[in-house]
Amino acid sequence: MADVLTQAALEPELSTQVGLETVAPDFAELYEAHSRQMFYLCLRLLGDPAKAEDATHDVFLKVWRKLGQFRGESSCRTWIYRIAINHCRNLQQAWAARHIQPAADDAALQDTVADTSSPLQVLELKELGERIQQSLDQLPPEYRLLLLLVADEELSYDQIGSLTGQTAGAVRGKLHRARKAFAVEFRKTA
Amino acid sequence: MKPQSSNFQHEQKEQTVEAQQAAQKTAATEFATVEEALRFDAARTPVPESVKIRLADSVRKEPAPQPPRPWWRRLLP
Repeated sequence: MADVLTQAALEPELSTQVGLETVAPDFAELYEAHSRQMFYLCLRLLGDPAKAEDATHDVFLKVWRKLGQFRGESSCRTWIYRIAINHCRNLQQAWAARHIQPAADDAALQDTVADTSSPLQVLELKELGERIQQSLDQLPPEYRLLLLLVADEELSYDQIGSLTGQTAGAVRGKLHRARKAFAVEFRKTA
Repeated sequence: MKPQSSNFQHEQKEQTVEAQQAAQKTAATEFATVEEALRFDAARTPVPESVKIRLADSVRKEPAPQPPRPWWRRLLP
């Protein structure tokens, strides 16, 4: 990584068209390995493609700045997720201070009876993203985050617990309720 | 003769509609779990290339990050 850092520092006159692979090859590999998941997380947490683009850029710039602090105590992906989650939370808090949005009623969602055994059906795949976004927007933020994290097959329940500040057992319990709540909201969007 | 022909046409129309509905039903994509739907959605949501281009530009403009301090320095006040 030292070579990468020196290269970026010594070549300030490179044109803006120079790719990440040229500027910082190792970092480019890191970006390729994790950017899709981080962009998707930002997109579904923030609900806006343009904001998700900005957030993904900012998250990876933070990753670049903090690379020297990464001690390998967690997996690289978990570490980047932590930065992304904190970044999105900060953005949402800043927006909430300006525009207060009604939060979904957690209790009401928990009491909803839903048949989660039947599959989620989608007739038009082009509408899938929109329906997922609408459904997630109706969930409490904690459920939304848990569902997005558990969808990443590289993350264990322990890692999700560590990212959300709870035990793996608590994650399992909440996920059960989150899936139910999502299924209810998803069917409403049909 | 005319009413019979009309009936035939009506039946044909109904059959076509039913066939279309059946085709739509088979075309429906099913996801067994929420995670499956989210994974599918994530897999077909590419990161815009502009993010990588902007990031390359930002990284290029960044000052060289400080190398990590040796562990024993962290113990010093």
